[in-house]
Formats: sequence, C-alpha cells, structure tokens
Amino acid sequence: MPFDPHFIARLIPALLDGAEVTVELAALTMAICLLWGLLVALAHGARGPLGWIAGGYIQVVRNTPLLIQLYLVYFGFSMAGFGLSGFASGLLALCAQNGGYVAEIYRGGLQSVSIRQFEAGRALGMRRSTLYTTVILPQVIARVVPPLTNQSISIIKDTSQVAAIAVMEIMKITEVWVETSANTYDVFLGAALIYLALTSIAGLIGKLAERRLAFAQ
Amino acid sequence: MKEFAPLIGSFWYLLRGAGMTVLMAASAVAPATLLGILLALLQVFGGGPLRSAILGYLFLIRGIPLLVLLTFVYYLLPLTGIDLPPFWGVVLVISLYYAAFISEVFRAGILSLPQAQWDAARSLGMSRRLMLRIVVLPQALRLAAPPYVSLCVSLVKATSLVSIVGLWELTMASREVVERTLAPFQIFIGAAAIYFCICYTLALYGRHLERRVLLGH
Amino acid sequence: MAGTLNDASSSAIELLPARQQRPILEITALHKRFGAVEVLRDVSLAVTPGEVVVVIGPSGSGKTTLLRCINLLEEYESGTIAIDGEPIGYRIEAETGRRLRMREREIAAARARIGMVFQSYNLFPHMNVLQNITAAPVRVKRIARRQAEARARELLAMVGLSDKVAEYPIRLSGGQQQRVAIARALAMDPKIMLFDEITSALDPELVGEVLAAMQQLAGDGMTMVVVTHEMSFARDIADRIVFMDAGIIVEEGKPDHLLFAPQSERVRAFLKRYNDRYRI
Repeated sequence: MPFDPHFIARLIPALLDGAEVTVELAALTMAICLLWGLLVALAHGARGPLGWIAGGYIQVVRNTPLLIQLYLVYFGFSMAGFGLSGFASGLLALCAQNGGYVAEIYRGGLQSVSIRQFEAGRALGMRRSTLYTTVILPQVIARVVPPLTNQSISIIKDTSQVAAIAVMEIMKITEVWVETSANTYDVFLGAALIYLALTSIAGLIGKLAERRLAFAQ
Repeated sequence: MKEFAPLIGSFWYLLRGAGMTVLMAASAVAPATLLGILLALLQVFGGGPLRSAILGYLFLIRGIPLLVLLTFVYYLLPLTGIDLPPFWGVVLVISLYYAAFISEVFRAGILSLPQAQWDAARSLGMSRRLMLRIVVLPQALRLAAPPYVSLCVSLVKATSLVSIVGLWELTMASREVVERTLAPFQIFIGAAAIYFCICYTLALYGRHLERRVLLGH
Repeated sequence: MAGTLNDASSSAIELLPARQQRPILEITALHKRFGAVEVLRDVSLAVTPGEVVVVIGPSGSGKTTLLRCINLLEEYESGTIAIDGEPIGYRIEAETGRRLRMREREIAAARARIGMVFQSYNLFPHMNVLQNITAAPVRVKRIARRQAEARARELLAMVGLSDKVAEYPIRLSGGQQQRVAIARALAMDPKIMLFDEITSALDPELVGEVLAAMQQLAGDGMTMVVVTHEMSFARDIADRIVFMDAGIIVEEGKPDHLLFAPQSERVRAFLKRYNDRYRI
C-alpha cells in the first residue's frame, strides 16, 4: 500500500464530490426535520387520535432500521408507480426517521423545563402566549441544542447508508474506488478523514450555537 | 390481503433471517458491554495518556459511520491473512463501535453519583476496589440501564448494515425474497414489522427500567 | 449493656486528668488552597479523648473543609494531622523533613478509625439498613457477618430504629436516615466521630431526633467534632466551641464564654445576626 501521490491527487476531488452530496443530504434532512420534528412533537402532545398516530409514527421509525426504510421507499415506491431517485428516497427516509428522533428531543427539552417556571410566569399574570415565548421557549431552545447537535452528527453518518441505493455520496464513491484500485487503505483513510472533518464541523457549529443561545442555566 | 401473499409465503424465511439478526446482535452486545464498562472505568480513574487514548478512540467512533468501518474490515480482512469467519468479523466491528457509546453511557452513570456516596464509602475505610464493587458500580449500572437498553436497540438495527457487505441476516433475506417475488413493498414492510417487534420489546423493557430507576432514587 | 459504647476505654480515660491525656485528634498548622483562594490558613486544633468540639462560623469559613481534611477527603498543602498519635494522610520523613503522602492502604486503614456523617445522600440507596451498617465492618475489618449483624442491631437499638432493620433508605425519613448513618459510622468502632452539618438538610421537625442521638453519643464519652448551625444544640453538647471565619480559628472557648461573652468582634457580629434571626 504505497503512499501514491498521483492516486491521492485523483482521489481527493472524487471524495469531495461525494462530500458535496453528503452535505446536501444531511443539511436538507436537518433543516426539514427541525420543522417536521416540531410538528410531530406538537401532534404527539395533542389529545385524541392525532396524539396516538404521532406516537405510533415515532415508535415505528425509531424501532426499524434506516436501511429497511430506504429500501422500502426506493424499491417500494417505484414498484407502486411513483419512483423516486436515490437522493430523493434517501432524503425522504432520513427525514422520516430523524423526524421521530427530533420530535423526542423537543419533547425532552420541554419536559426538562421546571414546572416552577410555568407557575412563576402565571403567578406574574402572563398570558399563555407571552409565557411561552418569553420564558419557556428560550429555555427549551437552550436545552435542545446539544442533543440536536448530536442528532446532526448522527444524520451525517447515516447518509452513508444511501450508498445502498446507489447515491454517489462519500460511501458509494469509496466503494467504487476500492473495487477498482489496489490502494484500499488510502481510499478508506480519505473517506474516514472527510467524515471526521464533517462531523467535527457539525460539532463546532453546535457548540457555537450553544454559546449563543444558551445563557446561564 | 392477496397482495400480501408473497410476504406470507416467505415469512418463515424472513423469520430465520431474524434469528440470525438476533444471534448477531446478542454476540456483539456482550463484548461491547464489557469493553464499554472497562473503558468507562479507565476514563474515570485512568491516568492522562490512557484517558487521551480513549478520547481519541471515542472521537474516531463518533465521527466515522459504522458502514465505513464494516466495509473497511470486509476488504481488509482477507488481505491480512487472518482466518476469521465474516460473521465474527462484523460482530467484532459492531462490538468495538458500540463499546464506545456504551462507555459514554456508563461514564455518565458513574459521574452522576452524588459526591457523598464516594465520601461515605471512603470515610468507612473502603479501598477503591471495594468501593467500586459494592457502592459505585451497582448504582451507576442501575442509572445507566435505560440509555444502555436504547443503545442495544440501536445495535440490533445496526446489524442490518452487514447486508451491504454481503452477510446474511434479516435485511439480506428480505432483499433475496424481493428479488424473487418482485414485491418490495410487502416484503420490506414485513421485515420492518419483524424488526419492530424485536426492537419495540427491548424499548419497552428500557422504559420499565427507567421507571424503576426514577422510583429508586 | 447494649446502650453504651466501649465501656472499657471510657473508664480508663477517667483515670487521667484532662491535661495529661494525649489528644485523639491533633491538627497542626493546616494550610489549604483552592486555586488562588486560601481556604484554610494555619489552622491548629487539638481534641482530647471524650471531648466534644463544635465548630461554628459563617458559610465559606472553611469549617467543612477542615473536617474533610481530617480523613483526607480533601487534600491540603501543608500541616499535619494525627489520630491518637498516628499521622494520617501525610507523614513527615524523619531525616529529610519531607512531606510524604501515605499509601492508599494506610489512608484507608486510618479512615476506618474515624467515623464521619455527612449532610445528605449519606446512605447507600441500593442496600437496606442492615447491609448499609454491616458492609464496611464485614468487608473492611473482616468481622464475621453474624457478629457484625449483632452489633448493627445493637447500634440501631441505640438510635431507636430497631424496627427498620430490613428497610431501604428511600423508605426512611431524613432524620431516620441520618440516625442510620450515625449507626453505620459507629459500627466501625471509631476513635473519633466527625459530623458535617448533618441536620442542615433536614426538615425542622426531624432535626430533634438526630440531635438527641448525638447527645447520647456525647454522653457515652465519644470524641466528636461537630460542624453545625444549631446554636442552642452547640451550647448544650459542646465542651468547647470553635469559631472559624475566612479560613482561620478566630476564637475558641467554653460555650457560655464564646456564645455570651465573646472577645472577638467578628464572633459578636456573627452571633448578633444569629440572635436577630432566632432569638436564642
């Protein structure tokens, strides 16, 4: 496994192309899930059938593997008539699963705000909308940032699974290059380094967000 | 109902796949747990260089997708000449991967013990080993049990990834059936349902443990 | 007689006048720093056998830290502490005068001779009362289990909790838990008992039962160092009261002297604030 600079020179742009797809997929998933997860969390908090459906949805996506969800969307939908591209299938499955996790993160964040805060606000005569926007929400946002950061790192890693449905992100490109060249180590090393870079950046962004949004707890 | 005929016909085959999934997960859980506890203890009590090494390990695991590691070992193993059956190869990788997350969960459990518990044990003249054995670990393990069970659920789902490197378990079995019956929707839903049964049962046990932990402290 | 401690040693103590007895606890020139802050500054204290010393003072004065240094739950930069003549924690090497930290095993053995009761989360929640009390005697001192359990029952009777033998701490009130904690510390047959504000975290109505247990212990001749906020209790139980502020011992003396005719202005100010609140 000689350290072949020519090989590396050809490898890096290819991996970076894959990284572009990875980042697109992950960023879109995170953005959509921030909203979708909120909707699911609100639905889950509601009483009646809506609450049950949301609860069931969360349990189903959390207790089935992402890979099966990917296959189901990609192969299942195309068989049913409306075929989605690999990227679109991946996005749909990733959003479906992570929507459930993000919803639980929101729920945990809300529950962890002490009931005393609610009582204090109401005792001061605040209306519910004021109470939520000025007292509760800032605290929930502060508590929710670290687990969301972790979730975004998880999403970045999960994008590797869409290689199974032929999306040209980092993992797939790694696979292709490993099959067609002898420098197995270099390819994997490159892929590992890029993933480490991406997840570290996500972690740093999370820490920055934490500092900005989280005041003295 | 007749649309689900292909699923009903292959259900027994899928169940055998599920058996392999459970076997794989069970084989990985034991070493992962033991290693996780060891890493947690080493991190809390170990010296500087040991702690740095473990932190480096955790950083790598946290930042690299499991699929990359699995694929890497899959390509690497034949080259090193180690005669390890693929089953144990993937079990090893999954164990090492989850040991990292399990160690974090146990470390949190150990650190969340009130200082007075350490003080009381030390003030009674207990050696560190005795203190760990009868005061710290029993409590830390109880505290860590609910998130630990979550990780076990995650591990079961992760076994689906070995299908991408060609090993046979539930996901691979369902892919085979789909190829044969061309009924991806029904088959993958069936596989999802089987995964759901396994994982949801574990998840319920985890919630039961959570309630017990809350009452006990 | 199942109600009292070590009858043999208390009668031996009565033979010697107080001045000639070797101190059970001797703290000499203790210095401790937390980062840049000097938490203990040249603190010296000697406690004779059977003496009850109560340490009072404002929060942050270092009284809890002092207590925790005694059985090396906290490290300190300089000074020596000796229990019954034996150094604990650090030893001064004879020839070089260097300060050496004792080995963990020696420190653990020394700690076994000191009993300590803490403010909260004292008991081991995953063990029942009997197991809490017998765990250390059986495993540290290697006392036979049956013997340890018999002693445990004696001690529980002494603190009035015989019927709680098989209960888990979570089912006990705070006051009951602290009494069990006292029994647990006593089960190791310590030479001295340390109490770190053990009633501060209790509901007021539960404080009395714990103070009563401590009174009985004092009456039986146990050497005690007590950090507390309970001034009237301090007055009742103490042979000597020590006032600490900002890391030094400001004044010490008999309860009636210190509490009602203190010489130091700081002590007066502290007591005045206390009197204004509680009107003792």
